[in-house]
Amino acid sequence: MHKESKSKYNSHLIKLIIAMIVFGVLALVVRHLFMPESMGQYGHYRGADIEDQKNVAIRLQTNESCFQCHKPIRKIHKTGVHRTVSCEICHGPYGDHITEGKKVGDLPVKQKQEITHLCLRCHNKVIQARPRESIKMVGLPEHLEQKKVRLDHTCDQCHMVHDPLLWINQAKEMIGIKEENKR
Amino acid sequence: MTGVHHADTVSALTNFVFPNDWHVHWSLMIVLYPYITGIVAGAFIVSSLYHVFGVKELEPISRFSLVFALAFLACATWPLLLHLGHPERCFSMLLTPNPTSAMAGFGYIYSAYFILLFHEILFIYRPIMVGLWHQSTGLKQWMYRFLAFHNDNLSRESLELDHKIINLLAGIGIPMACFLHGYVGFIFGGIKANPLWATPLMPVIFLLSACVSGIAGIILAYILIRKFTGKSIDVDCIRASIKFLWGFFILDFVFEMLEVFSHYYMSTHHWHVLENLLWGPLYTTYWLLQVKIFSIIPFVLLGVLSLFKFKDRVILFFAPIVSLMILIQVLLMRWNIVVGGQLMSNSTRGAVTFVPEWLGREGILAAIAIMMAPIVILFVLGKIFPFWLGERKVDSSMNS
Amino acid sequence: MNDIRKEIEQDRRGFIKKVLGGTIAGSLLLVIPATAERVLEEIPGMRDEKSVFTRRQFAFIVDITACIGCGSCCVADKAEYNVPDHNYRTWVERYIIDDHDNVYVDSPNGGLDGYTKAREGLPYPTRDTFFVPKLCNMCEKPSCVQVCPVGATYKTDDGFVLVDKTRCVACSYCIQACPYSVRFINPNTQTAEKCTWCYHRVRKGLLPACVSVCPVHARKFGDLADKNSEVWKILHEPHVISVLKPDMGNEPALHYVGLRREVV
Repeated sequence: MHKESKSKYNSHLIKLIIAMIVFGVLALVVRHLFMPESMGQYGHYRGADIEDQKNVAIRLQTNESCFQCHKPIRKIHKTGVHRTVSCEICHGPYGDHITEGKKVGDLPVKQKQEITHLCLRCHNKVIQARPRESIKMVGLPEHLEQKKVRLDHTCDQCHMVHDPLLWINQAKEMIGIKEENKR
Repeated sequence: MTGVHHADTVSALTNFVFPNDWHVHWSLMIVLYPYITGIVAGAFIVSSLYHVFGVKELEPISRFSLVFALAFLACATWPLLLHLGHPERCFSMLLTPNPTSAMAGFGYIYSAYFILLFHEILFIYRPIMVGLWHQSTGLKQWMYRFLAFHNDNLSRESLELDHKIINLLAGIGIPMACFLHGYVGFIFGGIKANPLWATPLMPVIFLLSACVSGIAGIILAYILIRKFTGKSIDVDCIRASIKFLWGFFILDFVFEMLEVFSHYYMSTHHWHVLENLLWGPLYTTYWLLQVKIFSIIPFVLLGVLSLFKFKDRVILFFAPIVSLMILIQVLLMRWNIVVGGQLMSNSTRGAVTFVPEWLGREGILAAIAIMMAPIVILFVLGKIFPFWLGERKVDSSMNS
Repeated sequence: MNDIRKEIEQDRRGFIKKVLGGTIAGSLLLVIPATAERVLEEIPGMRDEKSVFTRRQFAFIVDITACIGCGSCCVADKAEYNVPDHNYRTWVERYIIDDHDNVYVDSPNGGLDGYTKAREGLPYPTRDTFFVPKLCNMCEKPSCVQVCPVGATYKTDDGFVLVDKTRCVACSYCIQACPYSVRFINPNTQTAEKCTWCYHRVRKGLLPACVSVCPVHARKFGDLADKNSEVWKILHEPHVISVLKPDMGNEPALHYVGLRREVV
């Protein structure tokens, strides 16, 4: 058919084998070039990621961090029944207020119904699932009716939010003193 | 991401879905991915039936099915790239494949299979490439010379060597095609967290449905292309293909049903989760469409077409219809497994519904485009590798 | 006037530069933050752990009998990581069991907004209710690490399962593999994300944010290598303790006190 062909009968196979070897070597070079530096250092992952993970910015701090500056509230908050409540849950993350030792913004102070809403996250009686021994349950508006106050009263009008029993106890003490005086 | 955010719940009261499970992460693109690789594996097996197992009736489609497989294989990674959140990092799969990951092997298995299939085609087509090289000029000549490995030696010695290589490649190719698609099934079957996927039968079902979709695709494409180009159709070849299609479909359908039946019979907690899915959000696409319409009807049709002798006209009328139905059945099966598996929450107490979006990277339009692509590629490949030219001539020279 | 001001300004700048480069600054920097930081160390000795991996064996314990479902943990978590809406690194589920033993579970917005309403429309009287916080289980045999194709998610030698967001391709395979559904794709970074038990905080001596803010101490975090730690004591005392989905064989390091069979 093609008797004039100058190619050897197996030259195509030889070319193919050479091409595959070249391709294989190239692949190894490419692999070496693009392999992340610390890959496989501790396992099948980029070892340097441990450092990256450590350096993720911390946005929430502890109550103690807040108290370093906010001294007046510290005494009240730390001694009251709300001492385990985190400042940042109501006021927002520390990181929005202080970053790298500098003040970067103001955190909101909740007002009126917002406060009631926050209180009810924990104290709402209609949610039955709460263990009664650890937390006091309040039903609204029954509680307001029982205490004979207006129904639009917000929690903070009677309860000091940082120590809910502070004013109540103070008032009781005063009443107690009065009662003692009467006797 | 095409997730349904807080979609309609199935039943309001007891339906509890883990908050992160409202998103369906694997959508249309991951439905298409096993569908396309399945067609590839199936088409390759059709060609091997002739090249390796010596089923002579399939000779007219044996070369076409290889090019057909290549056209689909070329697009197999596209849906994956469209799905990835970071497609630019896709080479990490090749660079740092995690040895314990069922997914990490795909890059290598796919590449190896691509290389194998492409070279099998080149070796089979070499005499034709040489002929075209000498006939053409300019860029075309350059291309054909390249595709003929710059070797126009068509001596007996040379063709015998080619024949050996083709046999070797086809021989490696069959287990590889099976492995490729069984492996795709294992990507799902290895996920223990998902009760629909976690079954050792998954690779088997995927493989069988792959064969079925490949054969059906070849029958449909062969008939359509021959019709449109006004060439005669080898009806004996179609008859043989229909028989193979029926055979594979019997296995496929029986395994699919056995899988569900075994779970039903054992009735563990596993089944109660599946029950809520199959009779819940998946009822229409699974029971009605996949099983009742697109499995039972083709099953009966294929049986009748295989068992009784019909006139050519009847065969040529029903073969494309039944092939199309089988192709739809397999697509539905992929949908029901890939999307269906994600509709159940890991809470085992609820399910979500999922409707694909039209636009977007993983939308219906993108899916249509992806499915059109292999057809376009097949058209282009047909210009380079003539499907039918000199079929007899090559074989006579091979056998001589 | 203006010229003088400029001179003063320049002078000031020069002074500050000198100070910053000088020894005064060094001593100042040493004094102030050092005291500030010492106060903040919640896990003693963590700042002295300089090696790549700590020598500790951390465990997380959630006390279901203590949780009040306030969702503070969810708020803290979202704030710490700016978690995008509708994705949850941690969440709180509410379980309600009626006197016909039907179980109703809900978790509106993952408990982020707290539980403000009683569950309505239940056909029978309620027998029992409780809350279950969920977070990463930090499995001994994590499915997510097993399936990640590129090695972007991994387990450190001290037990943390983390995601390298510079390498994640967002294939979502880990999300499919996690039996606990704690993972999601962050729509902003397009990478997989999940609870890390606040690895960055722990390595700096702080407790995980959710542990730190929990008002009823339902979330506990500590070192099992230390036999005096609270977590060691809890796990070695006769409590009702279990892990989620033990059949999965993932061996979580997250334990639950008072875990009920209804919890999945």
